[in-house]
Amino acid sequence: MEKIKDERLKLKNLKNIRIAYVIQTLGIIAILGYDFVTKGINGMTDNPLWFVFIITTIVTAYLSMNISVDHEGEKKDPKKGLKIHLIVLVSICVTSAILLPLIDEFNIINVLLIPGIFFVCGLAPILYLYRLRKKKNEDTE
Amino acid sequence: MKNKIKIARVSMDLTQQQLADKVGVTRQTISLIEKGKYNPSLKLCLQICYTVNKTLDELFWLEREEWRNGKN
Repeated sequence: MEKIKDERLKLKNLKNIRIAYVIQTLGIIAILGYDFVTKGINGMTDNPLWFVFIITTIVTAYLSMNISVDHEGEKKDPKKGLKIHLIVLVSICVTSAILLPLIDEFNIINVLLIPGIFFVCGLAPILYLYRLRKKKNEDTE
Repeated sequence: MKNKIKIARVSMDLTQQQLADKVGVTRQTISLIEKGKYNPSLKLCLQICYTVNKTLDELFWLEREEWRNGKN
């Protein structure tokens, strides 16, 4: 198969892929929905499609951040944003470390592991956003 | 967007296919550009200009009035 060099066809191809992606996502949601109705929440999360769905959602969210940063109207100080995000993240983690043992039982999972996972999962997009804003500021200067 | 590619192409004695081959696109794309149904990238515009020995403003230009009236 010959490689497409025509810019119009490349664009058209991307639009076609977008339509295929929408159909594929709808199919995955339908299958997961069926699993949820017939086998419950655990049956749904046991399906390997669940991981595909979650991973593609995360990738889409990260890629969207790239667009959101460009879409921000006014110039934002990346360090100020980073500080605010870190304060919010640490407060969420500390609150969960205090509340989880009260709701459930007092063990290492509830006190350290779950808040730790919150922290790592929250830190990754915060650092990514900081890096994007910093790069954008450097590019526009 | 209106353009004068067709006139320039004919004056150079080129067919749509020949122009398409020279700039590395399909004949359909040249046809759509000539009809004003597809806006090419600046890179493709320049490639076309170099092929037909014209400047960018000679081929692709909209008068302010035309722009305001939305005739593009």
